Amino acid sequence: MPQDRVFLVVVDDSPEKAVALRYACLRVRKSGGRVALLRITEPPEMQEWAGIAALMQEERRQEAEQLLSALAAEVEEMTGALPLQLIREGDPVEEVLEVLAEDPRISILVLATATEGGPGPLTTALTGRHAGALRCPITLVPGGMTDAELDRVT
Amino acid sequence: MSVYLPIAEMSVDALLLLGIGLGVGWLSGLFGVGGGFLLTPLLILIGIPAPVAVASGANQTLGASVSGLIAQWRRGNVDPRMGVVLLVAGLAGSFAGTQLFVLLRRLGQVDLAVSLFYVVVLGTVGALMVRESLRAILRRRRLAPARTHQHSWLHGLPFKMRFRRSRLYISVIPPALVGFGIGILSAVMGVGGGFMLVPAMIYVLGMPTTTTIGTSLFQVTFVSANVTLLQALQTGSVDIVLTLLLLAGGVAGAQFGAAMGTRLRGEETRALLGLLVLSVALRLLWDLLETPGSLYFLGTAT
Repeated sequence: MPQDRVFLVVVDDSPEKAVALRYACLRVRKSGGRVALLRITEPPEMQEWAGIAALMQEERRQEAEQLLSALAAEVEEMTGALPLQLIREGDPVEEVLEVLAEDPRISILVLATATEGGPGPLTTALTGRHAGALRCPITLVPGGMTDAELDRVT
Repeated sequence: MSVYLPIAEMSVDALLLLGIGLGVGWLSGLFGVGGGFLLTPLLILIGIPAPVAVASGANQTLGASVSGLIAQWRRGNVDPRMGVVLLVAGLAGSFAGTQLFVLLRRLGQVDLAVSLFYVVVLGTVGALMVRESLRAILRRRRLAPARTHQHSWLHGLPFKMRFRRSRLYISVIPPALVGFGIGILSAVMGVGGGFMLVPAMIYVLGMPTTTTIGTSLFQVTFVSANVTLLQALQTGSVDIVLTLLLLAGGVAGAQFGAAMGTRLRGEETRALLGLLVLSVALRLLWDLLETPGSLYFLGTAT
């Protein structure tokens, strides 16, 4: 079993991220590897007070940490190992590309598509305009798949 | 290209007004601020009477805040309950402020009072802004985000209320006082007051930063709408030609500013804003202290 097969899941506020996360966990449980969670925080808006902008940045980071550690506990329960936790600040598409370029451990990017109204902005950008810039395969999981269906395909 | 302003009762160069609108709109887009605190003193400096300048400033702030409020509301960043408490107090404050304005007008001291308010408030705010950014520039030190979560006397007050979106359980008295104070400033100075409301909400009320911006915009939007209306009804000082010219420039400028704001960040821009605020305050102070060119003039007493 290759030790460094890492599934990267982008944790955003969409409902379908849970499907992507579950898919990644099931793959890891059944055929080995690790899960990595990436949360991208919004950079603070321009503020007339520097102290408030700094506070804003700090609170968003703390929020991201709390979210990731809650999800990490779920991942550990399913796969038996704690996931890698990454927090970046900036534009989601740019940061995903940058993480993939910088972190050689990541082997597959797992994205779930939205069930209605297009596949979601991140999926659209990464499979369309930026598809050539990726340096690892993408797995697209349909956001409407149920737990039983996910279980069957993994 | 001169135009005659019917309410201000004077002729001004239309291009100058468009330029002021453009500049203030640009800054408000860049910093996400209402811009009233720059617009009103600039209008006073070019000779527009203070009541008209104040009413126009409030109107400009309204225009700048609405679009921001809609964006924040969609993202769920407005705490409606806190917003309503601040708003009710703010409306009361702006009502009191307009009464004060009417009283000052009767005494004939309105120009002096508005200028004094501006010198004190802008002077303080500008000095704090410059100090904050100079410190950051000189030391390149990350500003330690300080937030006091100690239980102060503020937590002992009665009439506690739960603000779920902001995860707070505090007395309604501090937010009501903050809202009332900003309401008065809004009516007397023609500002939205966001630049003072936001720090007060964070450091005094202890609100999380996620809900602060949206909730302050909620208060600012409705209070400045109320101020514009009250000024129009009670002092009859909203000049439609002036506000239209300013808004035309302001809308265009805000687009430029918002586009630049996403690329431009950092202490240098903030220091410039601080210096600008401070120099406006100093200029107003100079105008108050300088010996007038003609010491008396003959005319009918108003």
